[in-house]
Amino acid sequence: MAGALLGTRIRENRKALSLNQKDLAAIAGVSASYLNLIEHNRRGIAGKTLNAIARALNVSSAELSEGMNQALIDRVKTAAVRNTQIKTEHDRIEEFCARFPGFARLIARQSDQIDRRDEEFTILSDQLKHDPYFAEAMHLLLSNITTIRSTSDILATSPQMPTKTAQHFINNLAQEARKLSQTAEDIFDYFEPTSEQQITSLDISPYEALLEKNRYYLKDLESDSVTIDQILMPLALSTAEHRETEKSLKSYKKMADNLPIQQFLIAAKNHNFDAVALAQYFNTDILSISFRMAHLPIKAEIPQFGLIQCDASGAVLYRKQLNSFSLPRYGGACPLWPVYRSLSQPLQPIRAMLDMPMGDRFHTISFAYPTEAAQIGIPALTEAIMLFTPDYAMLPKVAHGQTPQLTVGLQCTVCSRLACTARRASYLLSNK
Amino acid sequence: MQKTITIVEDEPFIIEALTFLLEREGYLVESVSDGALAIDFIIKTSPNLVILDIMLPNVSGMKILEDIRATASISGLPVLMLTAKGQKKDRQAAEDAGASQFMTKPFENAALIKNVKAMLFL
Repeated sequence: MAGALLGTRIRENRKALSLNQKDLAAIAGVSASYLNLIEHNRRGIAGKTLNAIARALNVSSAELSEGMNQALIDRVKTAAVRNTQIKTEHDRIEEFCARFPGFARLIARQSDQIDRRDEEFTILSDQLKHDPYFAEAMHLLLSNITTIRSTSDILATSPQMPTKTAQHFINNLAQEARKLSQTAEDIFDYFEPTSEQQITSLDISPYEALLEKNRYYLKDLESDSVTIDQILMPLALSTAEHRETEKSLKSYKKMADNLPIQQFLIAAKNHNFDAVALAQYFNTDILSISFRMAHLPIKAEIPQFGLIQCDASGAVLYRKQLNSFSLPRYGGACPLWPVYRSLSQPLQPIRAMLDMPMGDRFHTISFAYPTEAAQIGIPALTEAIMLFTPDYAMLPKVAHGQTPQLTVGLQCTVCSRLACTARRASYLLSNK
Repeated sequence: MQKTITIVEDEPFIIEALTFLLEREGYLVESVSDGALAIDFIIKTSPNLVILDIMLPNVSGMKILEDIRATASISGLPVLMLTAKGQKKDRQAAEDAGASQFMTKPFENAALIKNVKAMLFL
């Protein structure tokens, strides 16, 4: 099977779908006689025709190529050795893949899905540790417990306490116990997957998972140690996912080629990681610089940058969150963020220092830009980005010392600024 | 002479409990709940010790600690930091920023008093 020719693999895949040559030819938009020549390896194919046949067979074009079939064998081998309890016929895996390509793909896909679930589980566990709602809820819970423990201890160790004082502390105890109960209920409600957002928020695109796994810096791709195809091959993606991930990786590679990492880091250190100064130095736009700055290696001497990109409706197009600054996946963020203000001032970078409810501070640069050249009669489309960092001390003084301060939050449901005029949803920890 | 302790904490019932405990030990206790007002309050009252919560509205306890250490008149002030249990990074950051002592919530009343006495004795 590993040495089988492209035409042979097309025939195997066609038969696995119970299609005849005429049906496949019609779906793929080629003539049946041409397909017959292809399947008998008498015509080579590539490009559009290969893609059309691959789509018709519901496999990626790479999967029809030689490497992918060897990869399929390797993936089935991986699945076989993963389970030590069931003895499989290791020496007949190639034969199995050749005779039953559909089942082989099923086993490989399920094995890959187990790997991805494991990765997602790790990512979600990590996200939970840094979930702003959960962090605030746990803080509140511990405050409740601290009050109850301390107050009850006072009552237990002060037998001579005046009745009025004792009654006051008992009232405090009762109130705090009610708060504790409410906080516990709020936490349970939060983890009850009742809303669509809570369910879909667990979805994570393969590209996003790849970036998170690599801490948002694809070193091997940047250094040309791997190709995009080599990154995609082991991911076992559906055709649509493959296409989307490939597009995103190409975009990443273009960004890295335009602003090579070593050259960029030297300039960035010389300009104290000031995005505006770097845009001038590289004679490029703040958008490109911001994407570069959000994808840097993690080192002590390099500030960490997060990034959110949205369209004029506030819909999130891209996001890189930091442990200390979570970003919503589907909008719904704090409307006071300067990224939204920048949409009304395209091409004008806005600096602001954000003061978050729990005391964290972030230096931000927001920048809005038109997505395409203006045309008469067609509304101009604008997008915006906000680059942010908690490591503002590493930026030049001008970038944080004289920067306007903004009192903001993450999103209303986790924001304790109850009197905020921008509030549009209730604070989930209602007893605070 | 009666020693003064300032509590910077946003939970009113924790303030009440701490105030009762510390007054019972003979200390004069003052408190401030808003992080943004804390540094001016501490400079103005110049207490002998500060009990400082890390999570505060508006300005964090960490920022207040940095400001204390950067203000000449109060830079040597003993500061007992309070934070939620398990926040190891908070503890490390507080130590780096110059916290004199560190306790996690929930705490034992007796342990808190013991720490306060030790810090004031020194």
